[in-house]
Amino acid sequence: MTTDFARRRFNEMVLPHLDDAYGLARWLTGNRTDAEDVVQDACMRALASLETAVVERPRAWLLTIVRNTAFSWMGKNRPKAVVLVGDSELLDAAAAHRDASPGPEEVLIAAADEAALESAILALPPIFREVVVMRDINGMSYREIAAATGAPQGTVMSRLARARAQLADKLGSPA
Amino acid sequence: MTERPFEDDPTLLLNAALDGELDAAGALDVERRLAADPALAAEYARLAALRDAIRTRLPRERAPDALRARVIAMAQTPNQAAPTAPRRSWRLAERYRPLAASLMLGVLFGAGGYRLFVRPSGDDEVQRAIVAGFIRGRLSGQTVDIATSDRHTVKPWFAGKIAGATTVVDLKGDGFPLVGGRIDVVGRTPVATLIYQRREHQIALTEMPATNPDASTEPRHDTRDGYSLLEWTDRGRLYAAVSDLPPAEIDAFGAAFRHAAAAEREEPPKP
Repeated sequence: MTTDFARRRFNEMVLPHLDDAYGLARWLTGNRTDAEDVVQDACMRALASLETAVVERPRAWLLTIVRNTAFSWMGKNRPKAVVLVGDSELLDAAAAHRDASPGPEEVLIAAADEAALESAILALPPIFREVVVMRDINGMSYREIAAATGAPQGTVMSRLARARAQLADKLGSPA
Repeated sequence: MTERPFEDDPTLLLNAALDGELDAAGALDVERRLAADPALAAEYARLAALRDAIRTRLPRERAPDALRARVIAMAQTPNQAAPTAPRRSWRLAERYRPLAASLMLGVLFGAGGYRLFVRPSGDDEVQRAIVAGFIRGRLSGQTVDIATSDRHTVKPWFAGKIAGATTVVDLKGDGFPLVGGRIDVVGRTPVATLIYQRREHQIALTEMPATNPDASTEPRHDTRDGYSLLEWTDRGRLYAAVSDLPPAEIDAFGAAFRHAAAAEREEPPKP
């Protein structure tokens, strides 16, 4: 049962951030149809909790729900996509690929087009992809990302650094 | 993971600098390191190029209208078990009860127990919303979504989130250093708010479109719940500053901001 109270809060706290929610869901799931499912699902969870929840930062709060919904949705519908590799394993693999000499690839990166950027981001492992998307596309702070992902802030920072290094290596190497 | 992440990996520091997540001392430290280490400076340039490419080249997609309509309908339905036109089968009640419970718990912990919620109302909605935003920020100790004294970081940060360009000026020279920015919501509209510091006080300045697109009016004082407010309009934009400073100082702030904003309009655009 939805009360007026929850409904009013929903209008104030969820609806203004629907574009953000959809954007995050699209990056996490990799396609628009699934993103719509995830957002609708997440909004329903948000509405259900608004009866009693104390929400200080509605945007980060909603994006956290979207993120968790997306991961459980993918776990159920696309179990192969969610590879739950430990952080250290991923980080080591990432470090091995690091180019030792950053050079004028900066120019190549700056020239990367939308399609190249998109495919590079979608190719990242999910736990790396989400930090880049939350930070650079949703504009969330480190603290908000840590809260949303349930990871310590130091871990968020390592993941972000590795994810960006991978993206920069990929986009900065001549095709 | 690592306790002191900066010691063994300077790229974490570079990323944090790029994201405006460092305090003044940290930012200064990075500047020193970049000046002394060309390899580090090149890495910083590479990361900045990547960040800018992601921010400027990837389109921000709006939620499809059909989805928005479904979500709105869902909240309006008296009985939430029946959203209009579900896309797949929904077995709600059983599926969500445990989730909702754990979610609420998480939110309760995360929010530290404040319960500040402003009823929407036609009159003074703007004032209400910005004063509430100010109080909330002071209570939680987290007044900004992006903490940086660099106006060239704040402005693009707003760009993807707010319709229209936001005026961002640094007033350090006038004794009001820029602390950062955040998004407030007035009614259903996200608006840009800048935070400036004055001694131990802060000033929150919110900018939004004025009702009259040509409006330019002189600053007007007001108080609400004991806070000083200063409102003015400038070429169709409404500015509202709120603070716990005495009125004379918020006046000085308003004058400094208007002066700097006018000066910025004269300035040639940066490449």
